[in-house]
Amino acid sequence: MQLSLEDVTSYYGKTPILQNIDLGVAEGHCLAVLGRNGVGKTTLVRTIMGLTTRMTGRLSIAGEDATHKETHERSSAGVGFIPQGRGILPKFSVRENILLGTFARHDQKRAIPDMCLELFPYLAENLDKRAGQLSGGQQQQLSIARALATDPKILLLDEPTEGIQPNIVQEIEATIHRLNQEVGLTLVLTEQHIKIARELAHEFVIMDRGRIVVQGPIAELTDELVEEHLTI
Amino acid sequence: MSVHDFWTPFALEPFINALIIGLSLASIWLVAALGLTIIYGTMGVINMAHGEFIMLGAYSAWVMQFFIGIPWLLCLPLSFFIVGGFGWLVERGLIRHLYDRPLDTLLATWGVSLVLVQSVRLIFGGEPQYIDVPDELSTVMNLGFIHIPWMRIFIFFVSLGLVAMTLAILFKTNMGIQIRAVMQNKEMAASFGINSKRVYGLAFAFGAGLAGISGAMFSGLKTIFPDMGLGYVVEAFLVVVTGGGEVLGSLATAGIMGELFSVFSYFTNDTFGRFVLFVLIVIFLRFRPQGIFTPSMARR
Repeated sequence: MQLSLEDVTSYYGKTPILQNIDLGVAEGHCLAVLGRNGVGKTTLVRTIMGLTTRMTGRLSIAGEDATHKETHERSSAGVGFIPQGRGILPKFSVRENILLGTFARHDQKRAIPDMCLELFPYLAENLDKRAGQLSGGQQQQLSIARALATDPKILLLDEPTEGIQPNIVQEIEATIHRLNQEVGLTLVLTEQHIKIARELAHEFVIMDRGRIVVQGPIAELTDELVEEHLTI
Repeated sequence: MSVHDFWTPFALEPFINALIIGLSLASIWLVAALGLTIIYGTMGVINMAHGEFIMLGAYSAWVMQFFIGIPWLLCLPLSFFIVGGFGWLVERGLIRHLYDRPLDTLLATWGVSLVLVQSVRLIFGGEPQYIDVPDELSTVMNLGFIHIPWMRIFIFFVSLGLVAMTLAILFKTNMGIQIRAVMQNKEMAASFGINSKRVYGLAFAFGAGLAGISGAMFSGLKTIFPDMGLGYVVEAFLVVVTGGGEVLGSLATAGIMGELFSVFSYFTNDTFGRFVLFVLIVIFLRFRPQGIFTPSMARR
């Protein structure tokens, strides 16, 4: 498994938010993490990234134990992060935001990888623009480009289409598909849009109250399951 | 006292001299505040021991000159490294364990300040010490009606040099991009391979080093004594808070504060000038608590 969690419980302060999570994602696969608002999808991604107060259980990245690694070490171990709300640094230029990702690289290259500019021509043409001046869709492109600059093996995408214009959503979806199918990145994707999850993912998990309640191949995500666990 | 005694009428030549003194004061306040700006801006730590770091810089210069015979000009960079190293130890040993607990950090650094003052008093005594500066800096530059000590001119240009160096480090180096990333969003910085603890340690050491070099410089201007930090730290805090914790904000604020104080002092006296300046700062912070340049949304 490229990413695996064994009996992981994760806390904010002293309160357990995720409990007894077991999951694995094979190399090159895309796992969709589904569930209603507030069930722990973002906490799962933040736990993998090491951004919760503490966790118990075991986490491994590319076969290596990463349970006790700090956030910056997990990033250097090959986990790229596209957070909810995009998390771009608004005072930085587009160039500086992408270069930020290169601090996680083992090869110490402080140059923007060609793939980032090739995937997002708008960013390539506006490298000196202040990131805070970009539209929501452009900021999402920047967030993806920054994660790619880390030279990741695994990409964590937390609601990448949230708050994006519908025509841009298709572009983002196509980019994610390309990263998975052509570049071969392993993906963990939290998503509210079931259609997008079905199109992109190989497997799915459904979460409820901090636990995984259903998991399986994406073909087994039936309308009945959606009705039971995901419809508001 | 009559109003006439209190109020000095305008006269061009002394007024221009007052403006130049304002610039000199601004440079002193700026260099005293620069290290504090880095520490507060990067880490959000209100370092109550900053004045004592300045004092340590002055004593470092004095010890190096008095006991080892190192020339004063060479003592300046050495004080940067000595106090910077001490700051790094304080961050590793104390501050690092108190992040996200601002009140505890404030109390802990206040404790450090008390320990430093008493330690220096125990070791070197409480009497004032003096330092020898190069003869060239002990004279006064007379340019027509303008009279200003060379030492103040020296401090002015060194202050500008230190600001330029700080800006170059922040905006032209890999460490600078890491520091600015942590300043904006610590979680995001960590998520992209930046070790924020290491950045905090280096930023604290750099800020302490700047306090050290400023103390060493001030030792050439005034006497050295264990409580001397208090004389600088109030203005330094005002510069940092009004400047919004950013280097350019501190630069602008120190300039404005120095000139306002000097002008008010010219027309009245130092005490009233200081009173008016503090009142103006309180009013300013009432309407712009985020500081001079910082957008309101970015307020800490």
